[in-house]
This record gives sequence, C-alpha cells and structure tokens, in this order.
Amino acid sequence: MSAILEARDLIVAYGGNRALAIPHLSIGSGELVGVVGANGAGKSTLVNSLLGWSRGRPRIAGRVRLAGEDVSPLPSFERVRKGLLLIPEGKLVFGTLSVEDNLLAVGGAPLGEGRRAYSVDEIYDLFPRLKERRGHLGAQLSGGERQMLGIARALRLGPRALLLDEPSIGLAPRLVSTVLDTVKQLAATGLAVLLVEQNVRAAIKVVDRLILLERGQIVTEGPAAIMRDDPRIAEAYLGAHVA
Amino acid sequence: MNLTQQLVNGLVLGHAYALIAIGWTVLLGVARLVNFGHGQMYMLGAFVTWYSVSRLGLPYLVAVPIAMLAGVAVGYVMQRVMLQLTLRQDLVSIMIVTLGFGYVLHGAAGLVFGSTGQILETPLSLIDVYWGDLWFTWQDIAIIIVAILFFALLKYVIERTGVGRTARMVAEDPALALLAGIDVKKVYLGVFAFEGAAVALAAALVAPRTPILTSMGFDEVIVTFVVVVLGGIGSITGSYFAGLALGLFTAFFGALVSPAYTTAAAFAVLIAVLVLRPGGLAAAPGSR
Repeated sequence: MSAILEARDLIVAYGGNRALAIPHLSIGSGELVGVVGANGAGKSTLVNSLLGWSRGRPRIAGRVRLAGEDVSPLPSFERVRKGLLLIPEGKLVFGTLSVEDNLLAVGGAPLGEGRRAYSVDEIYDLFPRLKERRGHLGAQLSGGERQMLGIARALRLGPRALLLDEPSIGLAPRLVSTVLDTVKQLAATGLAVLLVEQNVRAAIKVVDRLILLERGQIVTEGPAAIMRDDPRIAEAYLGAHVA
Repeated sequence: MNLTQQLVNGLVLGHAYALIAIGWTVLLGVARLVNFGHGQMYMLGAFVTWYSVSRLGLPYLVAVPIAMLAGVAVGYVMQRVMLQLTLRQDLVSIMIVTLGFGYVLHGAAGLVFGSTGQILETPLSLIDVYWGDLWFTWQDIAIIIVAILFFALLKYVIERTGVGRTARMVAEDPALALLAGIDVKKVYLGVFAFEGAAVALAAALVAPRTPILTSMGFDEVIVTFVVVVLGGIGSITGSYFAGLALGLFTAFFGALVSPAYTTAAAFAVLIAVLVLRPGGLAAAPGSR
C-alpha cells in the first residue's frame, strides 16, 4: 500500500515543553488509522501539526509528505489546497454562513490528478440531512449536523487525506456509528484517514490500524484486530472485556 | 429657518459620512481591525484628487481612480508593515501603528503639497441647483448617488458572492478559514487596500464641499468612528443608516441649537445608544 500521508521526526513544542515526538507515521491509500490516548496525550496536537495548524503558537519541526510531495514548508492553507484536510475538534463550521454557503464557499479550484471534489449535490446525496437544512445557519445546527458539514466541506476541497479530531464528541451513540461508518466509507474510496477518537470502543470497530499515544509518543500500534487484545488498550479503554 | 433645506443638507452630509466610513466598516467587519490613520488617508485622497485636477490638468473622472489607486497603495503598504500584528490581533499595537501612520502621512503630505489650504473644484461642484427655496450642487447629488450605489454593491458582494463568503469566513474565524484553504493574509491585505480605495473615493467626492488642508483628518476619523459604532460593528446596512442619521442630526442640531455643540451632542447620542443598544442601532435590543 503506497503512503499517501507520511510524517518523519515530527516534533511539537509549546514554549520549552515538548508536546509531541513522532519518529515515523505513515497512512496508505484507503487506510483508516485510529489514534487513541488519554486527555493530554497529544492526539489533537498530532493531527494539527500534520497540517501546521494550531489555535495556539507551537513550534513544529519535522517532515510531512503528501502523495510523495514534501508539504512541510507550506503554510496550512496551501497544504489544504494540496488535499490535506483537517476537521478539527470543537468549532468546525462557520456559524454565520448558511449550510449551503459553507459548502459553496470552498471548492471549485482545479485539482491535481487522482483527486475528486464532491459537488454540492453529491454532498446532499451523502448527507441528506444537510439538504434539509441547507438554508439554516451553521450556528443553528446540532452537533451531528455540524460534524456532517465539517466533513462535507472537506470533501468539497478534493481531499487526498482526511484528519478527523474527535468527530464523535458530544454525539448520541446512534450518530457516532453513522459518522464513523461514513468515515469508513470515505476511506474505502481511496482516501488516507487519520481518526483521533476518545470513543475507543466505537473507533476500533471501523479502523484498520490503531495507534496508542501517551505523553506525546507512540506507545504501541498495530492492526485493530490485534490491538483490541492488547492489554494497554483493553484495560484502559475497553474495560478489559471486548465482545 | 428653512427646515427643508436642513433636510437636504442632512441627507447630503449623511451620505458623505456613510461614504467616508464604508472602508472602516469592512475593515472592522472582516478583519476586526481599526485604522486611526483613516482620516489622513482621506486627506491624502483629497489632495491626490486636487493635484491631479488642478496641477496635472487631468479630468475629474480620471483623477478619482488615481486617488483610489493611491489609497490602495497606502492601504496595502500599511497592512504589509503590520501584518504580524494583524495575525496576532494585537489591537493596541495596531491602534498605535495606524495612528503613527496617520502622522507620517500628514507630514509627508505637508512636504509634498504644502500647508496652504486648497479648494478642490470639480465640474459638478460648480453647478448650483435651485429647486424652489432649496439649494444644492450636482456634487451633492453625486455624493448621494455614489454612496447608495456603493453600499448596495458592497452589500451584494458581501452577501451573495464568493469573495463575500470568503470575507465573512475570515471575519468569523480566521484560523478555521485557513482549514478551508483560504489565504487569510491575502484577505487582510485586500481589505486594507479596499479601505484605502474606499476612503479615497469618499475624499474625491466629499472634499470639494470644504477647503482641504494637509492637517485635516481628525474630524473624519471621529465621524467614521461614530458611524461604525452606531451602525453596529461591521454592519454595512447599519453604517449606511448610522451615517444618514448622524448627517441629519448634525444638520438639524446645527440649525436649531448651535453648530458649535454638534460634535458634543453627537457623542452624547452615541453614549446613549451604546448604553441602550450595545451592539449599535442595527443590533437587536440588548444584543452585542
């Protein structure tokens, strides 16, 4: 499997404190990789740093390659234009814009080979709920609808790789399955997907591979089927008993 | 006293105020920025227009875009210099830097244009119109027409076009806008360049009403501040009506009470509005 997204020697520091140190990370085409860990383990820092983006002011070092191209020197918005899309935790839609304007505001730019931007109609086919709410402001949407819109906006930009930061947070259990199943379907179209999740029980059902982060470092990683039996995962995140 | 004449004066003055403030409205609405050099940019626009017409002998219609280009250049340079402050939303430093820029522009204009007052005469300002007891000039009519067209066009662009959506995204959340692939720095530069062009256009139209001096600018920045705050920060429609209201208030207060206390009275109204409607006239009662 060829690597779509690859990072080497990724180091993030806030002030003098090192928050993340990842020697190597690689995600292939069509692969869905989960990242789990306790609060403060560096999960959000990891996905944010791959894009060189943050609401704070960290120092970020290391190389990030997207479809073989070194995107490390590029600012965040140019990495986005290259197809590296982040759906952040928390605020992920523009509340003062309607659902349709959130979608129309992005996309339309010419894309490189192997990339496909979803049309607004395709988005509505994928998320019929957004079509029903097309005239509503982003601020009026529920948590699940915001997640859909965040993912939808990323799809409008022709992603090669998707970085999702806690998409299930605050969602009802049924919606969690819906969102994660959608993410799984998107990965199956050939996207490289990195999914940060605190809901390990839900995530492990959909990911191909799981990474456990602690204090900014990868403690262990492997195929989901094996990782669910890893005691560090099973005891800390799955209550030791996995069906 | 002719109240109808005061109404005409107020309408012209109000559209002039709105036109002078339009650049700042966008600046505050999109970039959450202030520019205390706005008044000196107005002065520069007036003098570039005057120089183009009086010294270079260019037609007024050519002088106006030249003044706007000068405004774009000044706005772009100003934002380029303080881009890092803008990205950090360091408002205190931005206030000081823009104030400093205003003084630099003042000094530079004094060197180039001298300190003597000038009259900017245009083909329109020389044509008087008498309608019954009413008097105005074609320049006054031009101010009203251009202000209405400019506000309508700006409202359309901001609410209905891709450029407007981009501006609104940056206004709401510049960090999130980066994740939508928007070059936020370029938007900030564009907004400042727009402000420069808009205030220069306002100057080219409004300055022929009064003598122009390189020392002017303070009144204009105060008027702009009042209009933008009264209208509700960043509200295009609000700024238009706030400008209009301020113009009518100034005309009638000046005629009925005394022109000497107009500014003080305008600020008293501003204070009352901010207490009763903190978000300005365009906001819902009690909201921000």
